[in-house]
Amino acid sequence: MTYQISIFLENKLGRLEKVTAVLKDAQINIRSIHLNHTANGWGILNLVVSNPELALELLNQSGMSAALREIVVVKMADTPGGLDELLKCIAKAGVNFTNAYGRVVDDGGNAFFVIDIQDIPDARAKLENIGLEIISNPLVYGV
Amino acid sequence: MYWEKELETLDRNALEKLQLERLTKSLRQAVNAPCYGQIPEINNVIKSGLKSIEQIRELPFTSKEDLRNGFPWGFLSADKREVVRLHSSSGTTGNPTVVYHNRHDLESWANLMARSIFSAGVRDTDVFQNICGYGLFTGGLGFQYGVEKLGCLSIPAGAGNSLRQIKLMRDFGTSVAHAIPSYLGRLFDVFKDEGLDPRKDTRLHTLVIGAEPHTEEHRQRIEELFGVKAYNSFGLSEMNGPGVAFECTEQDGLHIWEDAYVVEIIDPITLQPVAMGEIGELVMTTLDRQAMPLLRYRTRDLTRFIPGACKCGRTHRRLDRIAGRSDDMFIIKGCNVFPMQIEGILLKLPEVGDDYRIILDTMDDQDEMIIEVEVKKEWFNGDLAFLNNLERHITRLVRDEVLVRPLIKLVEPGSIPKSEGKAVRVFDHRQNKI
Repeated sequence: MTYQISIFLENKLGRLEKVTAVLKDAQINIRSIHLNHTANGWGILNLVVSNPELALELLNQSGMSAALREIVVVKMADTPGGLDELLKCIAKAGVNFTNAYGRVVDDGGNAFFVIDIQDIPDARAKLENIGLEIISNPLVYGV
Repeated sequence: MYWEKELETLDRNALEKLQLERLTKSLRQAVNAPCYGQIPEINNVIKSGLKSIEQIRELPFTSKEDLRNGFPWGFLSADKREVVRLHSSSGTTGNPTVVYHNRHDLESWANLMARSIFSAGVRDTDVFQNICGYGLFTGGLGFQYGVEKLGCLSIPAGAGNSLRQIKLMRDFGTSVAHAIPSYLGRLFDVFKDEGLDPRKDTRLHTLVIGAEPHTEEHRQRIEELFGVKAYNSFGLSEMNGPGVAFECTEQDGLHIWEDAYVVEIIDPITLQPVAMGEIGELVMTTLDRQAMPLLRYRTRDLTRFIPGACKCGRTHRRLDRIAGRSDDMFIIKGCNVFPMQIEGILLKLPEVGDDYRIILDTMDDQDEMIIEVEVKKEWFNGDLAFLNNLERHITRLVRDEVLVRPLIKLVEPGSIPKSEGKAVRVFDHRQNKI
């Protein structure tokens, strides 16, 4: 199973930096970042990191509200039309997500696409069915 | 089981007859005080004689302001020689309010206090720890004399120093303790830090909580944490202190001792009595105090009579828990709002913490009520939709209760300062305050 770490953040000066400082001190690498911000002065920060379990423990210890959420990560081509092609496949598979974000992985033309959705096993099965490559943890976490 | 069966179960007619006799005596005593002696209405009522207790409405009200203006001796009705104690408010703003007692007054107060805790099931076999400041504040000595009168082993522990409180409880097998409700949350945290569970590691079976308005939900949370019954105590120093009204073991309202006080509930604006069961301001007249009788004292506390008889058999009417202070109330968008109404909603929600803040502010020329609440860590699962729904849910609950649509603001746990004593919850930053 692959996890992102989600953190409740008030929209105040220095809040994001509180998170990154904790991760820096533990030598945890941030692989991808996505900030979901509401109009009411708070938001949820989603991070893909090199060691999500350790990140959860440390962020909770420093008083923050954090939780691990399962994600599914698929590969796409880092070329014009790469995302378009991937989304067509995902739609064909019948997977409807509410939150997603991406990242370039290497110079070899690969990028990954993170899907945050309630029913992960169902999504994974559907994506595998149409032959999409689900990226494994070592590659996602970069370890 | 009663402390004074006859007095506590007097039928209404007999109780009012007793009140009438005592009120007549109190008025004669009151006019000895310079501030009351010069009021013609009081002298008129004395001259023509009281025929019914309703005639109390012919007397003027006494306000906190009056007491301050009469500082220090204006309301003293007895010779200074026979006065043996005073209690006083802190008086950080203006003159303090001072109440004087002679020996009779202290004896009468101790008896009301003993009657109160007896009605909550406390007996002379109990060990009673009074976690309350001793000194000018009435919660310390008030309980002390009542507990001794009842015959418990009393531990005058005083306020604060949670580690010592826990040690006393464990060393002497404390079975009853008295404290303000907001302190008990902190005390429980210290139990936890010490690796102790008050449910198993103490012999507590009863807590008496008061001096601070709190909701039914707050009481239930305390009962759960400590594994006890928690009884609500109501009092104010102008009416002695604790022992004015108290919950019996039915936990269905606080019996207010009507042989010692005439109790009225009035509309704070029209000053007329409200209908039975309606919320209004509590107004009280002492019936058994000699050094300083007070007539129709406006307490500023908002409450109502609970209609009907109590299962315990006591005939003294019951007050509902305090719904706020007539001076705590704020008006926003034309609606009267009491912070206790909002607290009642928040404490029912398991997802949010006990601490909250109400901020009144002007945004785009509109007055807004912003309520900051903490989402508990254990409820956070990273799901945005869950938090959005929670915001909407609280908005709806508050709107339905106070008729004003609030802005609910979720904040990080621990970011709202913990309540210390009587917590300030409302911050008014509006441009044109009402």
